[in-house]
Amino acid sequence: MFLAIKELKHSKLRFLLIGVITILIAWLVLILCGLGNGLTTLSAATIKNMDADYVVFEEESRASMSRSVISESLVDEIKQQANVEDAAPVGATSTTVINESSTDGKKVDVSILGIIPGSFLEPQVVEGDSLKEGKPLEVIANDSLKKEGYKIGDTLEIEGSLEKMKIVGFVTNETYNHLPSIFTTLDKWQAIQFAAPGSDKGIEKPVNAIMLQGENIDAEQLSKQFDNIEIVTKAKAIQGMPGFKEENGTIMMMLGFLLVISAFVLGVFFYVLTLQKSNQFGILKAIGASNRFLAKTIVSQVFLLSLISVVIGILLTYLTALILPEDMPFSLDIKLVVLYSILLVIISTLGSLASVRRVTKIDPLLAIGRVE
Amino acid sequence: MAILEFNNVSKIYQQGENEVHALQDVSLTVEQGEFIAVIGPSGSGKSTFLSIAGALLHPTKGDVILNGKNLNSIKPKDLINLRLHEIGFIFQTSNLIPYLNVLDQLLVVKRLDGKETKEDKQFAVQLLQELGLGEKLKKFPEQLSGGERQRTAIARAFMNDPSIILADEPTASLDSKRAFEVVQLIAKETKTRNKAAIMVTHDERMLEFCDKVYRMEDGRLKLDESFNS
Repeated sequence: MFLAIKELKHSKLRFLLIGVITILIAWLVLILCGLGNGLTTLSAATIKNMDADYVVFEEESRASMSRSVISESLVDEIKQQANVEDAAPVGATSTTVINESSTDGKKVDVSILGIIPGSFLEPQVVEGDSLKEGKPLEVIANDSLKKEGYKIGDTLEIEGSLEKMKIVGFVTNETYNHLPSIFTTLDKWQAIQFAAPGSDKGIEKPVNAIMLQGENIDAEQLSKQFDNIEIVTKAKAIQGMPGFKEENGTIMMMLGFLLVISAFVLGVFFYVLTLQKSNQFGILKAIGASNRFLAKTIVSQVFLLSLISVVIGILLTYLTALILPEDMPFSLDIKLVVLYSILLVIISTLGSLASVRRVTKIDPLLAIGRVE
Repeated sequence: MAILEFNNVSKIYQQGENEVHALQDVSLTVEQGEFIAVIGPSGSGKSTFLSIAGALLHPTKGDVILNGKNLNSIKPKDLINLRLHEIGFIFQTSNLIPYLNVLDQLLVVKRLDGKETKEDKQFAVQLLQELGLGEKLKKFPEQLSGGERQRTAIARAFMNDPSIILADEPTASLDSKRAFEVVQLIAKETKTRNKAAIMVTHDERMLEFCDKVYRMEDGRLKLDESFNS
């Protein structure tokens, strides 16, 4: 630590340059992390928010709500099974709504989710009333609709249909399939989704999926007890959202590359620096420095440098978040920020191991008998 | 009391098919309080001799005994410790660490050993004052003259209170006036602290401060009678 800090202080410019590169990388990593998290939220917040452990789909639907149609009548039967604590049906549709109560008639794309009022799938309203059975006109909507001019009491008309709905409450942070969620009763949803004759494939009371509570559910065993269904974890159901894997995969790939790049940039920089200082290390070894001492010097130097850079990167990221447009899918999850920051510091520090290896091979004889 | 003994030490380098005899049957004893010089042209084996004395290089044959310990029987890892505690090096270009100030150059020796106490700091300041660097404690090597750098290096060599000082061409980059000063200081510190010291040099002007002068030629070491009569 002694030599590490003294050198950082003395050769400020040199370390500032590499520090700036590390800051930029950390900044980019954290912005991507926020973007990834934002997109994930936009894509699947509603499912993520659901307090469920497993999801029942139609067989061969590959864990996708849009490909799955099963009967609501399964709910009561599944509830009877071992380890199933609760079960609730859900259906989802993407559509376009028009605000009848406003004169400008701005159209908005939304996801309509049908649930049973009062089931564990219904989110808490932050404003207004919750859903009630027997009042099929009433819906609760994500508060992002407020920005489009919608308010409590507005009547929505679904484009290309005669169905109408009235907003009675707002929920927050509920998006599905990149669109703001509107929650309605299951009956109403069925009326919207299966308006065309025959579109329900002859299934009585069709729903897209059934959410299950119960941590100890044996999904495979349970699937076998019923015909034509498959049961997956909630995480897998989120993966099954349209575009989710592709979006997430792209961002994870970029993050991965950045982490490797940062390790290489720091690793190579310190390796070159070590080669340049071979003579100095030779002298230190001649006067009695052990490999351990020199290794600690290098590792602590890289660690300090990457730590400081990452902390500055975090600050810059939060400043960036302030100036990004509000409707951009960017959300910083403190847990993820901390995770990626730690990962970045660890990986960068690992990059210094090449230099450590180099130093252990330096011969203290370098110190003797060289005429300059 | 003998601090350093060479008993028939040879060093052979393999260069392709040829064997280069860098040292041949070198024997020598350095007593406590003695300042000896080894002179000779370049390529005569002076550096090899100093490297072996400094536990940086293993001899091919023969024994080196430092403070009663045979270096051949010490593990490489413990040799580092031996260098840290028993040997003080003065290198030819002073070879200071560029990012440490004069005081830290000395204290790093203690840091290598794990700890740095108040007494160490006092000792370092005292050493530097003796060598006329009392005003330069916070200066970095680039702000010092060649002579001042070499004096810092001398102070560093004495910092770990070693048994023996090994100086490798300590006057190589200095003009005569500075060179005299530096050698005089090495001699003075060696005497007052009652250490043994070996100076390897090709500069014959510096020998008046030495107790004995050896001449190295083609790997063989001989006492130079002309200086020692």
